[in-house]
Amino acid sequence: MIETPHQTLDPITLEVVRNKLDAVADEMEITLLKSSHSAIVKEALDASAAIFDAAGDQVAQAAASPIHLGMIIPAVQRFVEKFPTHTMRDGDVYVLNDPFDGGTHLPDLVMTMPVFAGDRLIAMVTAITHHQDMGGRSPGSTPVDAREIYQEGLRIPPLKLYDEGRLNTTLMELISRNVRIPDVVIGDIFGQFAACHVGKKGMLSLAERLGPDTLATYTRELLDRAERLTRQSLEAIPDGTYHFVDYLDNDGVELDRLVRIEVTATIAGSELTVDFTGSDSQVAGPINCVPASTLSAVYYIVKVAIDPDVPNNAGCYRPVHVVLPEGSIVNARPPAAVNSRSVVVRRIVDCLLGALNQALPGRLPAASNGHPLVMSMGGVDPADGRTYVTAEIGAGGMGARPTKDGVETIQTDTSNAQNIPAEALELEFPIRVAHWRLRDDSGGAGQFRGGLGFEKRFEVLRGAARVSHRGERHRTAPWGLFGGGAGASAKSLLLPDGEAPVLIPSKLEFTMHPGDVLDVWTTGGGGYGDPLERAPQAVLADVLDRKVSVSSARIDYGVVIEGREVVEEATSALRDELRRKRGPITWRYDRGPLGRE
Amino acid sequence: MVLLAVDIGGTFTDVVAIDPTNGQYQAAKVPTTPSRLIDGVRQGTQMALHLAGAEASDVERFVHGTTIGTNAVLERRGATTAILATDGFEDSLEIGRLRRTRMYDLFMDAETPVFLAPRRRRRGVPERVAADGSVVLALDERGVVETVRELKEEEHASAFAVCLLFSFRNPSHERRIRELIRELDPTLSVSLSSEVDPMFREYERTVVTAFDAYIRPVIQGYLTELTRELDEIGIHAPVQIMQSRGGITSARLVAERPVSVLLSGPAAGVIGARHAGSLSGLSDLITIDMGGTSADICLVQSNKPLVTAEGTIDSHPLRIPMVDVSTIGAGGGSIAWVDPAGNFRVGPRSAAADPGPACYRRGGMDATVTDASLVLGYLNPDFFAGGSLRLDVDAAHRAVEAFGMKLGLSTIEAASGIHRLINSQMADAIRLVSIRRGYDTRDFALVLLGGAGPVHGGRLASELAISTMVVPAVPGVLSALGLMVAAIEHDQVLTVAVRLDSAWPESLEATFLDLEAQVAARMKADKAPPNETATARSADARYVGQAYTLEIPMEGPVSTRALAAYRDAFDAAHRRIYGHAGPEAAIELVNVRVVQSWAFPSFDLQAASLPSGQTGPRARQAYFAELGGYVRVPVHRRDELEVGSQITGPAIVEQFDSTLVLYPGNHAEVQGTGNVIVTATSGANR
Repeated sequence: MIETPHQTLDPITLEVVRNKLDAVADEMEITLLKSSHSAIVKEALDASAAIFDAAGDQVAQAAASPIHLGMIIPAVQRFVEKFPTHTMRDGDVYVLNDPFDGGTHLPDLVMTMPVFAGDRLIAMVTAITHHQDMGGRSPGSTPVDAREIYQEGLRIPPLKLYDEGRLNTTLMELISRNVRIPDVVIGDIFGQFAACHVGKKGMLSLAERLGPDTLATYTRELLDRAERLTRQSLEAIPDGTYHFVDYLDNDGVELDRLVRIEVTATIAGSELTVDFTGSDSQVAGPINCVPASTLSAVYYIVKVAIDPDVPNNAGCYRPVHVVLPEGSIVNARPPAAVNSRSVVVRRIVDCLLGALNQALPGRLPAASNGHPLVMSMGGVDPADGRTYVTAEIGAGGMGARPTKDGVETIQTDTSNAQNIPAEALELEFPIRVAHWRLRDDSGGAGQFRGGLGFEKRFEVLRGAARVSHRGERHRTAPWGLFGGGAGASAKSLLLPDGEAPVLIPSKLEFTMHPGDVLDVWTTGGGGYGDPLERAPQAVLADVLDRKVSVSSARIDYGVVIEGREVVEEATSALRDELRRKRGPITWRYDRGPLGRE
Repeated sequence: MVLLAVDIGGTFTDVVAIDPTNGQYQAAKVPTTPSRLIDGVRQGTQMALHLAGAEASDVERFVHGTTIGTNAVLERRGATTAILATDGFEDSLEIGRLRRTRMYDLFMDAETPVFLAPRRRRRGVPERVAADGSVVLALDERGVVETVRELKEEEHASAFAVCLLFSFRNPSHERRIRELIRELDPTLSVSLSSEVDPMFREYERTVVTAFDAYIRPVIQGYLTELTRELDEIGIHAPVQIMQSRGGITSARLVAERPVSVLLSGPAAGVIGARHAGSLSGLSDLITIDMGGTSADICLVQSNKPLVTAEGTIDSHPLRIPMVDVSTIGAGGGSIAWVDPAGNFRVGPRSAAADPGPACYRRGGMDATVTDASLVLGYLNPDFFAGGSLRLDVDAAHRAVEAFGMKLGLSTIEAASGIHRLINSQMADAIRLVSIRRGYDTRDFALVLLGGAGPVHGGRLASELAISTMVVPAVPGVLSALGLMVAAIEHDQVLTVAVRLDSAWPESLEATFLDLEAQVAARMKADKAPPNETATARSADARYVGQAYTLEIPMEGPVSTRALAAYRDAFDAAHRRIYGHAGPEAAIELVNVRVVQSWAFPSFDLQAASLPSGQTGPRARQAYFAELGGYVRVPVHRRDELEVGSQITGPAIVEQFDSTLVLYPGNHAEVQGTGNVIVTATSGANR
């Protein structure tokens, strides 16, 4: 038996409780995904469920996407502050979406339902859904050129949606009146309610089997154990201060100014502190983060870099501290626009991987693609007069790992959305994909090569199409490590019919007409290790697969290939010469256009 | 006259010989021969014929379930495959859909099946067909020939997967490419995406077509060899093969579309379980087949196994319809362990068959579920797996004791803890599998299969609030029996992508008739009598703007009224599964489908004699927490139980290939059907 200060715990019951909490969260998540109306929830899986204990600590979460990790924690904290637990009643349901009051961006509505066994609060079950629309100046409530949150949609502070079982019809009517597709939005709100209800049932049955006291004791123990495990993993990392800076192309408004993210990660014993001092002040464009967004990036890193096996609950976040300068891009003040914050979340992940690499050399990858290309195209199809909107979600390559190449074209880090097949696009919309193939030579060279990006060409067949283009890493590149080269930067080129090509800076809205062509190239992943150490046969395989050109094999890898063979002697001579010219590798990061350091 | 069913499993090859006049069958079990599977098939076949007292020339039908295709994929033994795609789309296979399933694994491998055809064996051919099927760019025939020659000579490609954009709308370019390849070299094998999987979404279609090409020579070679071998021993009956969706077809047709058998592994067992359930008048079933390393779960609704439109192989999604089986890592070999935080964990790691549980005495030191079962008194150490293995009770005790000490638990506490945890994990998995498909476990009966299923079933039923359990007569050869009772079945699907409100009934009817003609030709080739063949039409539809579809039956012939009825049925199904519907929203018919099936004349299966050979005492001490610990319980032998016998738990029923544990509150009755039906009176709810 396990001795704790208070009572003796039974390890079997403890494991049953752990499994049950996960199963209840999963059941909530399934209900949430099933009962939702919106395509975003069903296809992008942009919805998550979590269980909090009576103290407001997250004890289980079913996260459909990594960006949801821990994202609901600040919301539940706000609910508890505004509606202290002794005032909570059975039948209450709380909601909020205000980023400056516990939320992330306006489409994400958080709902929490307290669960009572008798008159005792035993849990708070919570569901978050990305709603298809929350009002504001553009459909979908994510205007790329928003400068204030007021343009982004309806802000809902922490409010009661139900008060002891009575629906707050005022709030519902207000929401209905402010969104473009009230049926869908209200339907999805009830989908969240259904998920919370399932969670409530599950928690009540668990409390009935064990008794509320025992349940509470065991969930506290689970939190303590997750904390202990995380501390053990942190202790295994050398103490020190690790620093990294990375950049975004621009904020979507000031197109020529790089946006700086700076991270100082300090490991001291079993504690991790992440300090964002030095990051840019909040920006005019809609990429600002509030703490809930910034924290999800930190929590993702704790999970992948510190210990992937630790159960996902609030215990593993206890040894993690963040310093978020007020009014900065990672902790913006109202009325900053925040709808596209995921690009900053991704760059924070890059910064943390870059910094922790100094503490954990040989354990972490080079930089991955940086951010998906998110592009919406819409207009009126003259063939049938229907208005259409479609979205392109593209990804580049994964960064090379210390033991293997990066995967070609794949969602990485906190992103995980599916693309749209060319046939699905062309069946429905007056757009044609002329080609869509891997981008040769785009992976950062290295002993292990970065994953390739892709190249894709769009043509508009009928009518004019308005294109909202949100890319990243056009002006910077996914960095390579320990001699590995940077991956190729992203690029987009508009070829207007009969006119000179126009280079698209990463974030821009423009119009395409029939005959115009848009070419996009996504990033390659950074390389890892000295390319001159890459096995010549691996270089040959890449050349035969046309992933690396014969000239890159020679220049970047020092491998001489003739026909289908490596010329051994010429290769070792060339490698010696290249080594001599280059000298020893004295840099850790290769940032491509931004140099080495 | 005799019918033979042969099921090749990982460990054993089961052969069942049935006399169709009285339904009596004999079962032979021989070791599977991995280096040459046909050796085991031959040996088992001869043994079964011998047991049945039949001659090879008496065999009327030879039904076969094989994982040869699956094995070829897992062992990477397929053909050197090349992909021909529309120029500019030769990388579809590798680009995939971008989403990953291993979200937190920085060291994950690609989840697209690039091994089928690395980039050097993927080439574009100049051509283009638009979304409406019109030709935008004519096929460059000379270019095709040049490319094929290169792939053959330089890359040694012997199998070609042809996957052009919108070939489901206009297959002419794909067909022409096949002609060109055959003209060049008739020994090259060709799979066309417009025939293998004529549905939209180029990545998914490419994957299926590439798998078809990859396993085609392996399957064709195996079937040729099998036919020759059977000929040699004097069996000239038609060979029929189990397909992934649970129906059978002739070997000849399998050779034309081999990918249809790629995911057939679990199908026969589910068909067998469905049959066992139907014998007892039960048509809504959850089958749970718990073996050494994992447990397979499948739902049968209204006597039909759920079929999913997309399965997986080796963690790659594969768009072919298959019996919807979910596998979880819970089996007799699941290992109990303590994680770094000091938590008591069971599975998913397994000791499998080698080294196996500690009680196998093959070097396994870890405490497993089977070891716990032995400590708890549920298993007979002298009679396990048909008496083929003697279990070492002391070794089990030592392993469980050593494990328990790590957590400060007694041996008994540890053993019963292992059972509590594995049961609770399996019950949660079954519940989630059911909810995901829109069903409530309480509406189903549980069919207990595999060596370990009947040991745990009583506890699962109580966690899932299920009141009825079925233990078939011979769970150990249920897959082979499933082969015997499976129907001949063929299906054909086509993407139409048309809004319901603008669909022309005449044109839809013509499409259905065309699909029916294609399917009927295959049914005819399989000698199914047309007047006894059942035809089912359906269409996959969605609300405009959504990506996910629902498959809804469509009555024929298509008329305005039939479409209105379809519309209502779609809304109703959407409401049942998703809790809401939008009767005023436009819907789109994405794919249309025809399935035809013909069931063989039925017979009452009767085991000629239940295998016996049990030894050991007629009562023993077994542990039941609710009774305060070990109690002496009666041990029954299945082959001695008469029809109508009733047994109330706690008790144990031992049989050749499994052990049924009746927990307090369980009540068993032996039916004339051969099934034992267990009811749970104290059905604890969740």
